[in-house]
Amino acid sequence: MKVLIVCGDGINCEVETAEAFQEAGFQTQIRHLNDLIAERFDQSRLAAEFSVVALPGGFSFGDDLQSGKILALKISHGLGWDLNRFAKDGGWVLGVCNGFQALIRLGVFGRDLSIMHNASGKFLNTWVELKREGDRCLWLKGIQGLPVPIRHGEGRIVLKEGITARDLIASGTACLTYQTDPNGSAGRIAGLTDETGRILGLMPHPEAFIRAVNHPTWTRDLDPASPGLGLQIFKNAFEQMKTGKFA
Amino acid sequence: MSPTYTRIEVSLKPGLDDSTASGFLKKIEMALPGIRKKIRSARTMDVFWAKLPLKPSSEVLAEIFQDPVLQDLNFGLKPVALPFEGVGIEKKFRPGVTDNVGKTALEAFQIVLGRSLPDAQVASGAVLWLEPEANQNLLDSDLDQVARQVFCNPLIEAHRVLKTAGTDSATRFDPAQVQKDFPEVRLEGMDVSKAVSKIRLEGLTDSQLERLSRESLWAMTLPEMQAIRTHFQALGRDPTDVEMEVLAQTWSEHCKHKIFAAEIEYQSSDPNDFPGASEIPSQVDGLFKQTILGTTKQISRPWLLSVFDDNSGILAFDEKDAFCIKVETHNSPSALDPYGGALTGIVGVNRDILGSGLGAKPIFNTNVFCVADPDYSKELPERLLHPRRILDGIRKGVEHGGNKSGIPTVNGALFFDDRYIGKPLVYCGTGGWMPRQSAGRNCELKEVEPGDRIAMVGGRIGKDGIHGATFSSLALDEGAPATAVQLGDPITQKRAADFILEARELGLYRAITDNGAGGLSSSVGEMARISSGAKMDVSRALTKYPGLKPFELVVSESQERMTLAVDPKRWDAFLELAARRGVEVSDVGTFTDSGKFEIFYGKTLVADLDLKFLHKGNPRLKLQARWKGISAQTGAKGEEASTAQLGQTLRTLLSRNTIASKEWLIRQYDHEVQARSVLKPLQQGEIGHAGSDRNTPNDAGVIQPKKDSKKGIVVGCGLNPRLSDLDAYWMAISSVDEAVRNVIAAGAEFGTEDSVIALLDNFCWPDPVSREDFCADLVRACYGLKEAALALQAPLVSGKDSMKNDYRGKLAGKDVHIAVPPTLLMTAVARVADVTKVLSADFKKPGDRVYRLGPAGENSVSLLGSEWARLHETRGKPLGPVLRPDWKQARALYSWLATNSKSNFRRHLRSLHDLSDGGLLVALSEGLFAGRLGLKILADAFPKTDLACFGEGLHGFIASIDGQTSASDLQAMQAEWKNLGIQFTEIGQVTAEPELVFGKEKLATTQDLARAFRKEGYWE
Repeated sequence: MKVLIVCGDGINCEVETAEAFQEAGFQTQIRHLNDLIAERFDQSRLAAEFSVVALPGGFSFGDDLQSGKILALKISHGLGWDLNRFAKDGGWVLGVCNGFQALIRLGVFGRDLSIMHNASGKFLNTWVELKREGDRCLWLKGIQGLPVPIRHGEGRIVLKEGITARDLIASGTACLTYQTDPNGSAGRIAGLTDETGRILGLMPHPEAFIRAVNHPTWTRDLDPASPGLGLQIFKNAFEQMKTGKFA
Repeated sequence: MSPTYTRIEVSLKPGLDDSTASGFLKKIEMALPGIRKKIRSARTMDVFWAKLPLKPSSEVLAEIFQDPVLQDLNFGLKPVALPFEGVGIEKKFRPGVTDNVGKTALEAFQIVLGRSLPDAQVASGAVLWLEPEANQNLLDSDLDQVARQVFCNPLIEAHRVLKTAGTDSATRFDPAQVQKDFPEVRLEGMDVSKAVSKIRLEGLTDSQLERLSRESLWAMTLPEMQAIRTHFQALGRDPTDVEMEVLAQTWSEHCKHKIFAAEIEYQSSDPNDFPGASEIPSQVDGLFKQTILGTTKQISRPWLLSVFDDNSGILAFDEKDAFCIKVETHNSPSALDPYGGALTGIVGVNRDILGSGLGAKPIFNTNVFCVADPDYSKELPERLLHPRRILDGIRKGVEHGGNKSGIPTVNGALFFDDRYIGKPLVYCGTGGWMPRQSAGRNCELKEVEPGDRIAMVGGRIGKDGIHGATFSSLALDEGAPATAVQLGDPITQKRAADFILEARELGLYRAITDNGAGGLSSSVGEMARISSGAKMDVSRALTKYPGLKPFELVVSESQERMTLAVDPKRWDAFLELAARRGVEVSDVGTFTDSGKFEIFYGKTLVADLDLKFLHKGNPRLKLQARWKGISAQTGAKGEEASTAQLGQTLRTLLSRNTIASKEWLIRQYDHEVQARSVLKPLQQGEIGHAGSDRNTPNDAGVIQPKKDSKKGIVVGCGLNPRLSDLDAYWMAISSVDEAVRNVIAAGAEFGTEDSVIALLDNFCWPDPVSREDFCADLVRACYGLKEAALALQAPLVSGKDSMKNDYRGKLAGKDVHIAVPPTLLMTAVARVADVTKVLSADFKKPGDRVYRLGPAGENSVSLLGSEWARLHETRGKPLGPVLRPDWKQARALYSWLATNSKSNFRRHLRSLHDLSDGGLLVALSEGLFAGRLGLKILADAFPKTDLACFGEGLHGFIASIDGQTSASDLQAMQAEWKNLGIQFTEIGQVTAEPELVFGKEKLATTQDLARAFRKEGYWE
């Protein structure tokens, strides 16, 4: 089970993302976007060679014009990937932070929503408690709540007029919400999934909570030798793929 | 084919709130309250000017620039209504200033159109639309003030006024108008024969030589100018302007550290001096050699892989890996353009790491700012920016520099003193990581063979940053050139960094260094020393625009560039990988063994410098230093204060800018990217509530760099310029001790031969050449530093000095000189033996016992140079003793607390926090915040005096011990302390009731203290 982790152009969480997948049991390959384009690594090669595609966090193209925007243009024009198709064919997709923003710009979660500057207008690094919504997203099996760090300036989900956060939660598209309101996101939405449940995009960084010592209060109340809860997301994908149980 | 010009405007849909505009309104409120009253609301809009070979279709423009859920797009076809009638201020970069957003927009056109567009260009700008209050009129002069003081930096940005109504909304889209508005550098074509000039030094008088140096911005002294004249007399020719520029840059204080190499005559008449200080010789043969290098040589450890030879100090982490660290300053540029200056500072020190040894990966950043009071309300001297604006700009610069590069900012400090109004100090540090062996070579080595190609990698050369090295060696005066300002581009650099680390692992190059101050002149000139020569043709360097003169190509400090030596056999593979990574390479020449630095422009030889003269030919500086002894009155200060007074003073101290919570700043930096974080800048008691009052500041940052090793790296700092006003010797001892205590508190190793712990020194001084007292401060600081580093067996591994932190200008028409207080930043970096043994600074549980460890009793603390003394204007009154270090106790205590401690009782520790700014009660209060706990202080733990409660001292810690610890273990632990000569005081017990109680009396509730510490609403 191989994971393709895309890097280049200002993506910067590729190493820890690869380590998280490895810790869960996956084989990983970090590939530069330019190499993929030069090799014409199109949809059929992607589906043939990899079970998972991950777009890690970072600041692709410096967040200029809009976060994730130019990365999305480069993926769609340079590679022609249709990630919804990839998921329907059994593939898994993870987009974290800037990778999530790129998935939104690609239209993976439809065209009725977008993402913009935090309501405060400021970048924010803090830990938040997440709550799972619905049970469609396969990455989140068995997870109810999850403490994770957020590190972003553009994490506010905005919905097109006439759409409400409640609709998205009811439909199962919004699969994670914040317990508090760090960025003004509609309905406190933190993560989204697709129809298959195999695509997960989220602003917080599960790959940054692989070890207990990453947690901000570990010196108070955690066993420092224990694994971090963020690992569960990666293990979920691995276990389900191993047993072939696509719920 | 002539290009087409298009103006593109992007605005948020009217229903969405515009947080950028709200941010500007807040800043207008703070800077120009009178004008803010006239403004009802504001909106922002992005503007682009595109110069393309063909007219872009509406579809292409929409795909690139518009998110239909969020934005409206306007390129002149049909007008887009604003939510109000008002006026706008439009800003754009001046020609030649780095425009990162414009560059990205151009890449977007290339991606969408599917081809490269070599002659195309996109410029970016913005409009701030302002809606006046009913019956209010925003005058052009109001808009001009908003533009200059809030919205733009006139040094790098041009602005103009736009109206929403009227005719200009249509005409601004007219292609002819867009072409006129396009910020393009237009330089005359260059005739090489005229582009290089000879500089005639022959026959000039001394004052003419000095004037020539000053007017050319060379910052060279008369003896230096004379040495150059003598050198060229012997050669029988005049130097070229290129040669003069290369010499000026190489000999600049910034690059050559002439003050640290100077012969100094030191006089002291202080009978009560520190024993160590009274041994300072009257003739100092180079401060660097005697104190800094001398200290490291004396300590000498096998894990010191490379010190002072390279761009950073390189230390072994274990058998397989090494880490390195460097701290830089970027003061003068940050005074002119705080955002650009700080951004360039951080990406610049990142390049130092990238250019260390064979190249290292940046794994953490640190930053320390010294600025004037953000509430400064006196008149500002000419050309200076308000401190609030400075702080806002440098904060944003470090945020963008660190966050966008994917490097966590793990540690820092903020210090306030109004003397930083003339020059703010911006310290930027970076740690790096490298394997000890890469492609079969030792990673800390630099080798260059004659015949190796010289590759300039990354950004292109422009006029930006010309004379940066010499400029920073001048006091800031009214003639400072605008070209001294540069803007960094983190993404271009990130691409180059990724490419370099990949090329390193493939063994595609032989040596690397960064292009910082002095540009190619410095990077190639330095590397040429390894092979004994270099020959380069600067006409082959890629430029941002045509028309640069040879000397500009040589000394420009345009950012994001690295210089590499590439084996000709690997050249093709090197270029091929660079092309695949979208990184530009200029092939500018070859390294030789000719003993010369030869520079060509095409076929014309424009500089032919003897390497030995270039690097060793500058005459040695001679300086005078005179120390007159401590000026303050010393003695006891011991009157009993009432509980109410103590509580009041405590709250006031907690809300002092230097002590108060920096959460507003820390959370705007990514301090966890790379997912190695173990100890964060703030210790939280619970998660999910940013901006809650449950934060205790930690003493240092800890990361775990290898996932399969429990070892960690800890970094912390010490800074105490308040003591410089009394005695820089004491100040230096205090700064070293504080830096070391900070990393000990957070888990450093200490006390054994293989304990990896090291120091970095960063001096920011007022000009010691012109003043004997500043020079004496420098001498004393260096020797104080030496005493402390030797005592703690912490070698110095890297450093930097900035010696002209003076402002000379006019205030209300009169000449003024503002000198910064002599400021020494000590950074300590150490290995952590086991990250699971790291302690945070917060108290953990009710019942835990709190101890003060370290020197106790009389003469252990003083109010001299304390925050308390700053708070109370107490000139002339005795405030306490001058403190003497107790190194023996310090070593015993730090060894006992370290993560490689031999003691069996360290495991009972629950928290550890150093005693520093604000003294004992401040440190105790900070420990309460995260857990929202209380503390009951024993009635006789210490006297209720200002001296005991708020005095500051050396070597002290606050530790809490698990309340469940058995009585026999407690006894044995205390006996162990006694045996080791460690003094301790039992302070009291942690309580569940959230209040601070002294004996039977309540000083304050934890919530009140936390509120004071947070200073809600004050910061931006």
